[in-house]
Amino acid sequence: MHLTGLDRFLWAATFLGHLVLLFVLWKRDRAKLFPFFTALVSTNIFRTIALYVVMHLGTKDNYFEVYWSLTVLDTVLQLCIAYEMASHVFRPIGVWAPDMRKSFSWLLGLSFIAAGGLSWLASPPTRTIVLAVVIKTNLFVAAWMSELFVGMMALSRRVRRPWKTHVAAIAKGFGVYSIVCVVIEAGHTYFGVLQGSELYTAWSHLRIAVYLGCVVYWMFALWRDAPPSRTLTEKMRAQLLSLDSKVEYDLQTLRARREL
Amino acid sequence: MSTNGVYFLVSVGLFLAVLIAIAGLDYIRRRRSPQESWEGLMRRLISVDRARVAKIAMDFIVASHQAGSGNNDDGELEPEDIFGLIGGLKGLEVLEKNSQVLIDLACYLQSSYPEALAIAEQLRQSAREIEFHVGRLRGAAQNGSLEVNFPFYGQPVIATYYRMTRQLLALYEEAKVPMLADLERAL
Repeated sequence: MHLTGLDRFLWAATFLGHLVLLFVLWKRDRAKLFPFFTALVSTNIFRTIALYVVMHLGTKDNYFEVYWSLTVLDTVLQLCIAYEMASHVFRPIGVWAPDMRKSFSWLLGLSFIAAGGLSWLASPPTRTIVLAVVIKTNLFVAAWMSELFVGMMALSRRVRRPWKTHVAAIAKGFGVYSIVCVVIEAGHTYFGVLQGSELYTAWSHLRIAVYLGCVVYWMFALWRDAPPSRTLTEKMRAQLLSLDSKVEYDLQTLRARREL
Repeated sequence: MSTNGVYFLVSVGLFLAVLIAIAGLDYIRRRRSPQESWEGLMRRLISVDRARVAKIAMDFIVASHQAGSGNNDDGELEPEDIFGLIGGLKGLEVLEKNSQVLIDLACYLQSSYPEALAIAEQLRQSAREIEFHVGRLRGAAQNGSLEVNFPFYGQPVIATYYRMTRQLLALYEEAKVPMLADLERAL
């Protein structure tokens, strides 16, 4: 397999980016909070090494077997990350509110159907059925992931659930990346790979470049601390003291009447 | 270009347009109110007659307690009294709006007092309850059966709202934060 200078640069940059991101997750104690995200970053490091070794020591078939196996793992982990983000936002004390479970199930169901419909409409001009299935699956995954991340953000605002800084950063990164992936996969679907591999390669380069941008964004966002807590003014403290007794009286009255 | 190709391109275009519009709107709204100020939250609270709310709620609580003890007497207040005291459906809609502000007030405290998270969750549940009951009453108003349905849904809404205000006040009291004074005045 012939690799250009740009290919090598993107490979090296992505590998280095993932290493730094893993260091940030470990050093800033974020790995415990985001185990699936950390697993995805670790898997990507392993994937880069594995593919490099197979490319130099294995056959072309070996390369594609390893590539697609790890791509499946990558997709599963992305779904797990969507669940991880949903857990942070919609069940912060470890229990799903009944209404939230229902809304989230609707989001999952509708987004699945919409992504399925989009990939069903796709008919990429390819030489083999396998390649057509691969392109359709990629489009489905990209569409579903983008819907899930954007949908979760919209849903959280509707039910007034705040996003913690780091959760929002991870979700935003995946949201942007998934939307760009939809454009790229739609390009793959429309043009297929018949009109020359140059276009296919250009789309792939664009995807990796966007992903690299997300990795850099995550590095900075996850390194930074969340905004500090608010501080109380003395004036406010004085107001509290003057009314503390009044509120206590109110609460006692309520408790007493409840016990009637 | 084949018909199938056109359908596909149009579908992808629509899909992306909807997705980007949702994400963009969400981004703009979040930026517009990144973290609402205390004053902003207080301004959003619509003034309600606290004594009337308390009177209706306590009537409901006492009646519920008596029903639990085997005494099936209704509360002292008649349905028409409750309707008049709270200002009908419009009054309940004000409580519905205020219940959303109560959640935001709990979230506001959460940044300096993480223990507020559990109460914020309870408040969310109560607010959904209120939303559900008021929704039922809105439907009843459209069917012309508001007065029949008001006793079943109206008083529980007021009692739930009252409980929310007490929970929030207790939370602010427990957190020992000075904003309690403003809150006490507003609720």
